[in-house]
Amino acid sequence: MASKSQAPSQSVGPGYRPDTQKPTATVSTEIPHQNVHILEQTPQLIALLTMIRDKNTGRADFIFYSNRIIRLLVEEGLNHLPVVEHTITTPVGRSYSGVKFEGKICGVSIMRAGESMEQALRECCRSVRIGKILIQRDEETAKPKLYYDKLPEDIADRWVLLLDPMLATGGSALMAVDVLISKGVPEDHILFLNLIASPEGAKSFAERVPKVRVVTAFVDQGLDEKNYIVPGLGDFGDRFYTM
Amino acid sequence: MTKTLHYSPPWGDASIIGVAGSSGSGKTSLALAIVASLNLPWVVIMSMDSFYKPLTPEQSRAAFRNEFDFDAPEAIDFDILVDRLRDIKQGKVAEVPVYSFERHARVEQTTTVYSPHVLILEGIFALHDQRVLDLLDLKIFAEADADLCLSRRLVRDVKERGRDIEGCIKQWFGFVKPNYSRYVAPQREIADIIIPRGIENTVAIGMVSSQIQKTLAHKSSQHQLELGRLGKIAEESPLSSNALIIKQTNQVNGIHTLLMNPETSREDYIFYFDRMVAMLIEKAADYLPFQPRQVLTPQGNVYMGLRNSAGMSAVVILRGGSAFETGLRRTIPDCRTGRILIQTNYRTGEPELHYRALPSSIKEDGLVLLLDPQMSTGGAALMAVRVLVDHGVPEDRIVFVTYLAGRVGINRVLSVFPEVRAIVARLGYDMEDRWVEARYLGC
Repeated sequence: MASKSQAPSQSVGPGYRPDTQKPTATVSTEIPHQNVHILEQTPQLIALLTMIRDKNTGRADFIFYSNRIIRLLVEEGLNHLPVVEHTITTPVGRSYSGVKFEGKICGVSIMRAGESMEQALRECCRSVRIGKILIQRDEETAKPKLYYDKLPEDIADRWVLLLDPMLATGGSALMAVDVLISKGVPEDHILFLNLIASPEGAKSFAERVPKVRVVTAFVDQGLDEKNYIVPGLGDFGDRFYTM
Repeated sequence: MTKTLHYSPPWGDASIIGVAGSSGSGKTSLALAIVASLNLPWVVIMSMDSFYKPLTPEQSRAAFRNEFDFDAPEAIDFDILVDRLRDIKQGKVAEVPVYSFERHARVEQTTTVYSPHVLILEGIFALHDQRVLDLLDLKIFAEADADLCLSRRLVRDVKERGRDIEGCIKQWFGFVKPNYSRYVAPQREIADIIIPRGIENTVAIGMVSSQIQKTLAHKSSQHQLELGRLGKIAEESPLSSNALIIKQTNQVNGIHTLLMNPETSREDYIFYFDRMVAMLIEKAADYLPFQPRQVLTPQGNVYMGLRNSAGMSAVVILRGGSAFETGLRRTIPDCRTGRILIQTNYRTGEPELHYRALPSSIKEDGLVLLLDPQMSTGGAALMAVRVLVDHGVPEDRIVFVTYLAGRVGINRVLSVFPEVRAIVARLGYDMEDRWVEARYLGC
């Protein structure tokens, strides 16, 4: 194993339950960076992650349970978007000082695994525009290479939700951020939505682009010699699309 | 809030009316006439025929020869009858046996009787057993001319119970007539009302029916008083610690604003409401019991995770709760879903239980979600929780999930059922009129 820290283990469960009644499970590794937001480690989230990590979980269940986690990611990610005050009169005739969503958004998926997150994004934002970026590993240099991108023309005026379920070394995600910045998207208007990250990948990403906010469900133990996330869940794209 | 309070539903002290009389005296039609004149769903007729003892093989052979005495008190299983009547009196669920006249045996399935406000027990020995008499609120004796009784019995037994004329006449003179004078007639002495001429006697039926109506009105006002008393207690306490208001993030606040704005289109309203419900259900699912579970990833790595260790079901409080179903299925597509219809009587303001269909596994589930988009006074919620508890769901496995609720309503429910939890998307005003489901369903 190239790098592998001790996985944190703790009892998880709602506050009202005494610790003795909370089952113990491996939870996300903490990351000190301010711009990395890890979803609350609830027993329900851990159970969903357990389902999609299990090699015996079939494709239909894999798709369903990863969708549920991605929806939680999208909901959390959307909370980082700005709102403005908006006062309305309720159906029972009272005044309510609420808020209104401000600013246009769009999704950008890093092909192909990132595209698996589009459905959950649409379930929360119906008519959201979605751009695509294809980045492949160059066999000669072993470095990521940009093959294709198709993005909304006015992307510079939008908040961008960048989608990729697995963050291993962070190479492709960083390249995708570079593409967005080169199109005029301010760095602090980018939100990176991610299912499982390696601590190395999360750290280097957070340090290289400190204004991009990362929303992830789980930071794993580390990477193996082939740069796969450990324990990870295998190849997300294969399990979602073809296996 | 540590003090446990008591809540008795309107069916908590069911009135039981006994109708006795000779075979063929028209007890059943009389009971039906009383029910028809009341025209209320909370009145149930229970026939003592359901409580015939199962026969031994020998007795059964005698029965098929028309030589078994069905018209003696010994043929009736009074122990079970008393047991079931006590359950009904206390507002519990009672399983009433079903007796097959073709086979002279009890059949496998039972009939469930739950939550009648009034139960009419009819049978030749309805006023015979002292234990039954102790449970009765009104004792009626139906009287009819003996010739009329015989002819009615002949017609019924031949047409509906597949007997032959000779057998029936043999039974009449061998058992029915002697038993009448020995056991049935004496019940006249203890009856409150003796009704001659059966259903033709509209004056008597009117009297009984107005007596029952008086009882129902009294129960209803008692129930209202009780709700009021619980409200007083709830007003004085801070929000119960068993109520969880979801985190009011920017998204949640933004969705609240859209949902509350009457100018939001119905399409948008439904879309954002479904989204909110999916969040609420995810939150509620954390209350499921979990167990450690170790899995292997496709690369052969070990992960120490968790799995649900028990099933989850949901009970929709109609009609509002049906607005939760899309969001529920998005999160748990195969969630077993029961339904209960509780309607608030617009005249009395009292919640009324009209219908219930619950999953049979509900007792064993690790979590039962009770779904209603809006809680106002908490009256319907109290009744719904009570129905679940009566059906054997432990209180601490019930989570009430609602979009909008007021503090008083929540406290009312959680002070009566201190182990139930509530998940609320937005804490609103107390006693706010219902509007959430009307916007969703469009009427």
